[in-house]
Amino acid sequence: MGRFVFVSMATRAESRLVVSCRTLLAAAPARAAVRGEGKMAAGFLLNRGVLTLGIHSQRLCRSVPLLQVREKKRWMKAYTFLMAKKLKLEGPPPPKPRWQQPNWDYHAEVQAFSVRLQENFSLELLKTAFINPCYLRAERERREQLGVDSESTALSLKDNVQLRNSGERFAKSFLSDWCRANFPRLPVVGVESIVGNLTSAATVSHVARNLGVEDLSMSADFPVPDEVLRSTFMALIGALKESSGAERTGFFLRDFLSTQLIGKDLFDLWTVVDPMGLLVEELTERKCPLPEPRLIRAAGASTVLPLYFVGLYSDQKLLAQGPGETLVGAEEEAARVALRKLYGFTENRRPFDFSPQQLQQPLLQSVSN
Amino acid sequence: MTSRGTPSRFLKSVLQNGVGRYVCQLKRVSIVFSKKAQSSLGVRDFIEEGVVDYAKKNPGTVVYVSPQACNVPKIVAEYLNGNVREELVTSKTSQQISEILTKLTNQSGLDIIRLRKPFHTDSPSIQGQWHPFTNRPLLIDPKPPTASTK
Repeated sequence: MGRFVFVSMATRAESRLVVSCRTLLAAAPARAAVRGEGKMAAGFLLNRGVLTLGIHSQRLCRSVPLLQVREKKRWMKAYTFLMAKKLKLEGPPPPKPRWQQPNWDYHAEVQAFSVRLQENFSLELLKTAFINPCYLRAERERREQLGVDSESTALSLKDNVQLRNSGERFAKSFLSDWCRANFPRLPVVGVESIVGNLTSAATVSHVARNLGVEDLSMSADFPVPDEVLRSTFMALIGALKESSGAERTGFFLRDFLSTQLIGKDLFDLWTVVDPMGLLVEELTERKCPLPEPRLIRAAGASTVLPLYFVGLYSDQKLLAQGPGETLVGAEEEAARVALRKLYGFTENRRPFDFSPQQLQQPLLQSVSN
Repeated sequence: MTSRGTPSRFLKSVLQNGVGRYVCQLKRVSIVFSKKAQSSLGVRDFIEEGVVDYAKKNPGTVVYVSPQACNVPKIVAEYLNGNVREELVTSKTSQQISEILTKLTNQSGLDIIRLRKPFHTDSPSIQGQWHPFTNRPLLIDPKPPTASTK
């Protein structure tokens, strides 16, 4: 470690100390020769290694490289202690956006983003899609604070509001078409809630984060809020629609948003408070007799873990059965099971068609099977 | 440490990757090496021979080559899910480095920890989960729920 100490040192009468220093103090004379007359004291740049070994040895002074100390770093413990205390008091430093870290080429990143998703974005539209209005506002304020006049360095950037609106409209209409094609028996409210769930900030921002949109999107604050990330992703959809057409965008939505439905339950997506009421409504619409709940199985009724199975019969046929810890809970569960069966959203339904675009069949055909 | 104590996860992919289309999960790779050090000899060879081919073959990955004074050359891989992996490539040959890069390209970026099971399904049972009443007859005479049992 190049640690230096200044010492004032009285040289002995006939000592002739030659200190050569090669780096760091280029301003100091490369060779300082001190001819002492006893009273002469001079400030010298010496290192600690020499000091500990003793400054009396003239020979040693010549031979030891003065810029390095090899010893136990006794200052290190205090330093690490201080740093640990600082970390504990202040908490970890705020996360830095990727563009402020080394190795970042925005143009290359945007290009790679387009290629990675196997889409032909027009690069200009893509770059526009990443610029959020909140970023523009923050940038303008920053420039005002810095005192840059707005005429000479105007921000000639367009924000993504237009793209976002068109993208959002397209995404909603496409996804509701897709849902209707895949679940033809689902009522309008159910389709709406599924589409609402798929285009909600939570789902879309999760998708966007895992597609590397967060690095590229320009936002006022970091980490990028979910809502901003959602609007960026919608703008991406708008940009894709403008650059490669509605069909490709449809496949994009199918591959990245609809896949989020895999493994989800209908009533996770659609909150139904009174499933029995809904079931009664559905059955009256279909002109079936109303469901009759019957206790079909029970176990451990007197214990702390009772189990009841309630079956719903309509016209003496078993519609569905559901388990529960109480009779009311079991009846509600049975109603949910019956609704899932009615709407064709059971766990063992036919999987969605995600085949690649060349092999793609019309959606309606796969549903009818 | 026993296997119960080690971190583990289930088999999964990022965003159901491959269900719709396959997206290469490696978004950025930076090769950090020294211009002079002996340990970076293989990396320098690789940069002369193979890095351009690699970048051409993987247009979805941004490759940064950054020479800096370091004794331990490394490859820093960043994945779409935000994970960053560093591979030290001290004294590796050009061939070995290209193998490491291929490995990093094919990985998903999820933590490399013990997998609980080597398979995964979103629908655990097509027929429905087993319970003690499976394949047992219903109660002999179905009775309506009464106020006393409620």
